[in-house]
Amino acid sequence: MTHLSAPGKRPGAAVGPAGEERPGATATGGHRWFPAGRGELVERLFAVQSLFALLLVFVLAVVVSPRRDGEIIFLSTENLGNVVRAVSEIGIIAVGMTFVVLLGGIDLSVGAILGLSAVGTATLMVDSGFGIVAAVTVVLLIGALFGALQGYATARLGIQSFIVTLAGLQVARGLARIWSGGLGIPIAYGDGPQEAPAAFEILNGSINGVVPVPAVLFVGIGVAAIVVLRKTAFARHVYAIGGNEKAARLSGVPVLRVKVAVFAIAGLLAAVAGVIHAGQLNQGSPNDGAGYELDAIAAVVIGGTSLAGGTGSMGGTLAGALLLGILNNILALNNIDANVQLLIKGLVIVAAAGLQKLRRSIV
Amino acid sequence: MSDQVTVAMSGITKRFGGVRALRGVHLTLRAGEVHALLGENGAGKSTLINILAGVVTDYDGEIVLGGEPVRFAGPAAAQAAGIATIHQELDLVPALSVAENLTLGREPRTRLRTLDRRAMARTARDWLAPLGVEIDPGRPVGSLRVGEQQLVEIAKALSLDARVLIMDEPTAALADAEVRRLMSTIRALRGRGVAVVYISHRLEEIEHIADRATVLRNGEVAGTLRPGPADRQRIITLMVGRPAQALFSAGSAGPPRPAGPEVLEVEDLAVRPRSARPGRCEPAGVSLTVRAGEIVGLAGLMGAGRTELLEALYGAGPPGRRSGRLLLAGRPYAPRGPRCALRAGVGFVPEDRRRAALVLEHAVGRSIVLAALRRFTTAGVVRSGRERDAVHQQITALAIKTSSAGAPVGSLSGGNQQKVVFARHLLTRPRLLLLDEPTRGVDVGAKAEIYRLLRRLADDGMAILLASSELPELTGVCDRILVLRHGRVVAQLPAGRCTGEEILTAAMGGAAAGGDER
Repeated sequence: MTHLSAPGKRPGAAVGPAGEERPGATATGGHRWFPAGRGELVERLFAVQSLFALLLVFVLAVVVSPRRDGEIIFLSTENLGNVVRAVSEIGIIAVGMTFVVLLGGIDLSVGAILGLSAVGTATLMVDSGFGIVAAVTVVLLIGALFGALQGYATARLGIQSFIVTLAGLQVARGLARIWSGGLGIPIAYGDGPQEAPAAFEILNGSINGVVPVPAVLFVGIGVAAIVVLRKTAFARHVYAIGGNEKAARLSGVPVLRVKVAVFAIAGLLAAVAGVIHAGQLNQGSPNDGAGYELDAIAAVVIGGTSLAGGTGSMGGTLAGALLLGILNNILALNNIDANVQLLIKGLVIVAAAGLQKLRRSIV
Repeated sequence: MSDQVTVAMSGITKRFGGVRALRGVHLTLRAGEVHALLGENGAGKSTLINILAGVVTDYDGEIVLGGEPVRFAGPAAAQAAGIATIHQELDLVPALSVAENLTLGREPRTRLRTLDRRAMARTARDWLAPLGVEIDPGRPVGSLRVGEQQLVEIAKALSLDARVLIMDEPTAALADAEVRRLMSTIRALRGRGVAVVYISHRLEEIEHIADRATVLRNGEVAGTLRPGPADRQRIITLMVGRPAQALFSAGSAGPPRPAGPEVLEVEDLAVRPRSARPGRCEPAGVSLTVRAGEIVGLAGLMGAGRTELLEALYGAGPPGRRSGRLLLAGRPYAPRGPRCALRAGVGFVPEDRRRAALVLEHAVGRSIVLAALRRFTTAGVVRSGRERDAVHQQITALAIKTSSAGAPVGSLSGGNQQKVVFARHLLTRPRLLLLDEPTRGVDVGAKAEIYRLLRRLADDGMAILLASSELPELTGVCDRILVLRHGRVVAQLPAGRCTGEEILTAAMGGAAAGGDER
């Protein structure tokens, strides 16, 4: 029999008629004229939950935004650009994190990989005289390889990803400090030695002076990830492993390969964020990115992806990241203390998780 | 059994949204009676006991417990009133000992307020003894067999003064010896005046143990009777609401069919796992063949190595060394893993569909295509049109009852969930299908459909190896039956002409009547 109060995944569930007579079963069996089962409807409703939340926060921001000469500051192109620019690094990391969380894992190393990549970008261009393409390629490869190694460790050795990436966090941070000598490496632009190619400054610029370049990268990566998650067999495998690894294996899903790929993606995207970070701050500082992994996880959770793995969406994560960005922005515009911002962020996360729980109990 | 009524449920009606789950159900439970609750999946059994156990709280109708009308606010209230439920997923803490579990939350203390372990063990023994159970109270519950854990749970319920004990498919995961022990425990409960609600799909058991049986159909009481062997047809008729055509008619071994070519040849297969796992019985020199168009049954007691054999053939067992010779369609076959087995044309429907096959939150369609995804994928992208066609074709072919291909698997009944697993493997077009207890927890109607399906697949030339602990299933559906014991084939019996007793005798190690003992 079913615990109606707490259905959902019960790993210890035995076979048998347990749960067979769930009300949903009767509904779908007996009433085929329903356009969709109740569970499906609820799922669909919750799938856009984070979008609604985003809309709500947006409207709220418009209402409470301070005005200048009757103009709503929040809605000014400059401010909106700032919002997306500020969100882009965490957002790109959160895209990778979504894959990992869908897989049923977690990646704590992404913030440190960002730091390592920022240092790498700066050092390679400033000290080693690499061109932009060469430097960025090397940095992205390092990030992907780092992630892949972590994925291999979790999949092959069966160590929980929490632990593997906790270790990875230390290692990446250590490498970043060793590589940089412990200090931030400033990036000066120009053609001379100890100078980075001026074109790298594009990361600080905007297209037509309106759309910040990092924002374009973030949106591009986000859209690509949505497509990947919707259309590819790889994504199906990710969902299957996150939902039930044993079942996935028995259905012929190449579990090891998928896990390695997912962590490699997370590492790669963290490195992308690191390159952007270096570009935006004009330096590579080994201590940067600390705590970014937690903000990324927050975005994923607000986006409705279950930390247990197997359910969730990329669109939700993007909405979650934007929501956090708008929240920070509007609080800053109203001169609200940064520490209060933290409190509010915490409450939003709890509210999102509460909604998740509600979904579980309805479906 | 006395005439004293412990519980009287009357006029129980429950709707879930627009769907009526129960209508005007009456159920009386007398002190000291074992009352079987029967019905196909979706008939309303679970809803009814959920109401009695306080899990479902908004319903119409009345429950009278010991002469007083009651309305439970929740499961805790029902428990406090003496209604205990033994769930299929047991509610014990695996890491704690039997004694610790039995005294959980009310541990005996010494004068220093520390745990009084001796008193704990004594109390535990006192509660276990009347049930005729001999389990060391110091053993961790996780090390007990499922059957023993169940007995601990029953003892726990009694220690909490349960007057009503609800047992949901208690024997689904038990070996025969454990079933017998459970039966004697239930008899002991009867002597103590406990009313037992017994839900099971196994009619033999119910004939054996139940004083009365209530059959539910479509949320209404179809009839209440005293079950006996003579009533089996009547019970099935009440459950399905139509005259019971023989369950196995479609599957039964009719005239011997011409045997096809050998699809699977196994010679002296043995597996030595890298690390020993308790409770597993790996193949220890198995030889067998399965021909195209043939359904071969694998019989054996719990722990005889049926599951382990199927897993070895699918490459799904624990890592280890495999010896012996495997031929698939005449070619050497060395399954390195499920992926490899699938490519070679082998499908496997595991025993525990929830733990090993399905994700209840995932959509039916996506669950169906998972194993055959390669066929619908171009350059890594799933071609949704072709996928949709294949899904709909499978849903129609197997008559999977679902509101849509997008509905979560968890919204389906057990039988239909099982069909989803079947569909997944049929989509890969296997030449050999390995089935482990394919009808466990599946209602009578869906069982018959699955049997017909198996026969149809075999007729189309598939080779099927079916492990089952249900003897009628083996004798009724299979062409040949192999009996396993300690990881070896100990007898081979022609299904059409052997009885359940013969199979059991061989499985338990007696002289196999009519079998060619190896």
